Amino acid sequence: MLELLLQTGVNAVYAASYMALIAVGLVLIFGVMGVINFAHGELYMLGAYSVFFFYVEQGLNFFLAVAIGMVFVGAVGLLMERALFRPLRDNPLGGLIASIGLLLCLQSAVTLGFGVRSKNVNPPIQKAVGFGIDGVSVPLQRLYVVIAAVALLVALWLFLKRSRFGWALRATAQDSEAAALQGISLNQTSRIAMFIGAGLAGVAGALTAPIVPTEPLMGHGVIVTAFIIIIVGGIGSLEGAVVAAVLYAFVHTFVTTFFDGTVADITGLLLMLIVLVIKPTGLFGTKERA
Amino acid sequence: MSELFYKKGLNRRRFLQGTAVGAAMAATSVPRKTFAQGESVKIGFLAPLTGEVAAWGLPGLYGCEIWAEWVNAAGGIDIGGEKRMVEFVSYDNEYDPSKARAGAQKLINEDNVKFIMMLGGDTMPPVVDISNRSGMLVSTLLPSDLTPDTPNLIAPCEVHPIYNVTGVEWLAENHPDVKTAVICAQDDALGRPSVATYLAAFEAAGIEVISDPLFFDYSTTDFAPVMTSLMSNNPDVICLDTSYADFVHPLMEQAYLQGYEGKIISCTADFYEQIIEKTSQEFVEGMIFQFPDFDDEALNQSQVNFQNPNDFYAEYAKRWPGEWGAVSWEYASIMDLWRAGAEKAGSVEPQDVLAAMKEGGTGLHAFGEAQWWGEDLFGINNALVGDWPVVVIEGGKAKIKEFKSIPAWWDKHGDILVKHMDAMGEMYYQRT
Amino acid sequence: MPNRLPLLLGAAALAVALILLPHQLSFSQQEVLVFLVINVLVVASYRLLTLTGEWSLGHVVMVGVGAYASALISKQFGVWVPLSMVLGAAVAGVVAFILSFPLFRMKGFYFLIGSFAAGEVIRLCWKKFRYPFGGPKGLKSIPGFPDITIGETTFAFWNAVNFYYLALIVVAVALVFLYRIEKSRLGLTFHALHWQDKLAESVGVNAWRMRMTAFVAASFFAGLAGALQAHYLTTINPTMFDVEPMVYVLIWVIVGGTATFYGPILGVVILTVINEIVLRELGVDQARPLFLGAILILSILFLPKGLESLVPKIGGLWKRRNKDDGNSPGGETEKA
Repeated sequence: MLELLLQTGVNAVYAASYMALIAVGLVLIFGVMGVINFAHGELYMLGAYSVFFFYVEQGLNFFLAVAIGMVFVGAVGLLMERALFRPLRDNPLGGLIASIGLLLCLQSAVTLGFGVRSKNVNPPIQKAVGFGIDGVSVPLQRLYVVIAAVALLVALWLFLKRSRFGWALRATAQDSEAAALQGISLNQTSRIAMFIGAGLAGVAGALTAPIVPTEPLMGHGVIVTAFIIIIVGGIGSLEGAVVAAVLYAFVHTFVTTFFDGTVADITGLLLMLIVLVIKPTGLFGTKERA
Repeated sequence: MSELFYKKGLNRRRFLQGTAVGAAMAATSVPRKTFAQGESVKIGFLAPLTGEVAAWGLPGLYGCEIWAEWVNAAGGIDIGGEKRMVEFVSYDNEYDPSKARAGAQKLINEDNVKFIMMLGGDTMPPVVDISNRSGMLVSTLLPSDLTPDTPNLIAPCEVHPIYNVTGVEWLAENHPDVKTAVICAQDDALGRPSVATYLAAFEAAGIEVISDPLFFDYSTTDFAPVMTSLMSNNPDVICLDTSYADFVHPLMEQAYLQGYEGKIISCTADFYEQIIEKTSQEFVEGMIFQFPDFDDEALNQSQVNFQNPNDFYAEYAKRWPGEWGAVSWEYASIMDLWRAGAEKAGSVEPQDVLAAMKEGGTGLHAFGEAQWWGEDLFGINNALVGDWPVVVIEGGKAKIKEFKSIPAWWDKHGDILVKHMDAMGEMYYQRT
Repeated sequence: MPNRLPLLLGAAALAVALILLPHQLSFSQQEVLVFLVINVLVVASYRLLTLTGEWSLGHVVMVGVGAYASALISKQFGVWVPLSMVLGAAVAGVVAFILSFPLFRMKGFYFLIGSFAAGEVIRLCWKKFRYPFGGPKGLKSIPGFPDITIGETTFAFWNAVNFYYLALIVVAVALVFLYRIEKSRLGLTFHALHWQDKLAESVGVNAWRMRMTAFVAASFFAGLAGALQAHYLTTINPTMFDVEPMVYVLIWVIVGGTATFYGPILGVVILTVINEIVLRELGVDQARPLFLGAILILSILFLPKGLESLVPKIGGLWKRRNKDDGNSPGGETEKA
């Protein structure tokens, strides 16, 4: 029984890691630009397909393919910022609708280009790493995701707290008008936020491509979970997103193991509703936005 | 042009080069172009071609294209001494009942089709209604659509999940040391009746199922907890039920990574070569399932009615690399049966073909002569049941080990199956 | 009075057009038409809620609540279908009332996602509890709307054209109600809440009660739309009410525009015709989502105020042209 609990805990740590990567990007985009990016799950999907294309089809090194995927998806994010979100800055629901349109386009384009079936991506090294306890182990590929998530999130935190750009980003997230008056370029902070946010989703997709089925609609389930997480954490709060990702992943993984998946989904949603009823702005949210 | 788009690589490259719209239009209009002109018989293909369930429809349409090309190239079908070409008309129902209803109306009243092939499931009830009023003959891949109120609906190919009993029977005969089992499945119209079938099959074979079947949600992406939970009881065999390929793969991978060493039985193992790549040949060796590759030599035995299975497989793999799965041949095999019925009846009218098909109570199923059956389970004898292959992975390749008779199993253990179906709420009188 | 006449004539012409419409269509287009009419009610009721400034992602689940409730009431208890439809709608209203307590503690984006979560919990319960909801496969063999015999003729409602007329009448009556609510004092208060909620509250408007009222009324009519759907299709399942159709409702409403009563209706009509008829006719089955997505992006970029913003422009052009013609005094009414 103890092993089962430990193994479930290990499974949950992985789930928390990739969810945190996605949710933090979503929060960053929302905080700086005020846009609810519905196509965030599709950015994750694009990351996975980048790995399929560069690693499986073109035969590049896996980690190189992941890096390319991250930059590529980040670039897609820049394109979205310029072509969709910037022209719609004064339209509160415009960004949401444009991102839904993009979501449909991306899903359809990937289906037409790569087929409806899921793509097979083999992990570069398939093996499990033990912890010296019988019956408790973690696949190496999942360990990569955990390591990457921790490294990237720490790097992001340092960037936001220590660098000039990070300072500008935080200022914009707090009050974009006041930030603009201080001479901070909203265009520039938006670009940075979008590149980082999209890139994080892309890297999450790229690293999990060998773990989850890589298929055109894979963003579907992810985006719903990500929304739950950022709400529980309090929209606009990066720390909140990370805490909520860990909380959600543990609850969901344990309930799946000991009950079943549908009950886990219901539990996750109820958890969120309870948090919202007690604190309508989420765990770490300070003010009402949107 | 059509030649170009049959090759998926080219399709994609062209697509990525920015001719998105043109490529999309050309790719999707291929079926219309390649089929014969003139005095042709139209067959409706009403299945999901987009959305989450598309993998259960689209690859079947590709198989039908090949079927029609081959039949038409050989002069068409012989209806009362007259040669007729066969043409498919497809309608994407998006696995949505309202769109299936609109599609059925279009196919019957506007395209004047003589037969409609469907995946079934959620999309079936409104179409049954229309079929009962118009007398249209409709086929399904899911026999759980059959009830006493569906006289024009046939399940002529895949009598899912009943054939799963053959795999368990073979397992018990060949591996008598297997004593305990666990089962998992996605919680849906395929998973549940299949679980009932495996429970019955294990009971009949004297294998104990040591924990409640584990149902996971369709949207599950992380299978580590599922496998952890399954393995916690140290079973001799893990049954993956009728889990979809997108679930079978991660489940197998998790079993491998979490150090599972027992046997595995599953309904399908689509793309098993990818499972081998992700795990190891030794790990997958001996996995039992029910769907052969069509390049299998055993399919050339005389009782097999599927036309040129080896060539069909080769052609399909050439046109759609990586898209081969169970549905790739199933719709085409239904067309073989329909063709035999129409030629026998000397007519393409739905009721004539249905009567000719069911004459004598037997029919030519893909895997051999079979009987129209189902009264006890579906309330109607509209499922075609006979032998079904048991497939085992040997040396990294799927091999048919034996064709086993489903009716023979049913005669011995039918009551056990009814008991479990009833407990699962899957009997026809419970399916409301 | 002179202002009233063109409006009345226009309404009469529209009514005649709607009555003749199905006979100009093919069989499958008639099917599309039935669901289009039902969806008109879905978007029009959605707009009532958006008047208060809140956007819900649970609206389609409310459609489902009406569908499941009406189906179960008629199927399990043998209640006469027209009555069960009203009861189904009422159940949706009651569910909305209960949900108001947790949900209207939230605002804006929190409400958006909160409503989604609440709806999803309801939907997952349909999936989880096979009794009475039928589990993932949902309900089948739902009784249809009873035939009506007038004189010698019997109207059977499995027939698309007949059901279209039925739906048309139900939806038209519902739209009149929705329109009256919007134009009443209550509707004006909704507007006030949207634009100046603090101010409205300071003059004694109970914001929670107003939002609750709008939510309950919107859900009632959504439930009615669901009941129509259930008794026409005779089958429903949880997937029909998941987030995807909800996204479509959002698309229809926003592409149409929410400033006017007719905006969302314009959106659902035009986008349905494009998606279900034009794109299918073009034979681009698998690429339809691609085109729809592109249309969506283009329309939000170039028509940010929705399709409805085109109407006054077209109307303006028409007036100007008539003036230039000079000698056609009743031009507007003739056209309408």
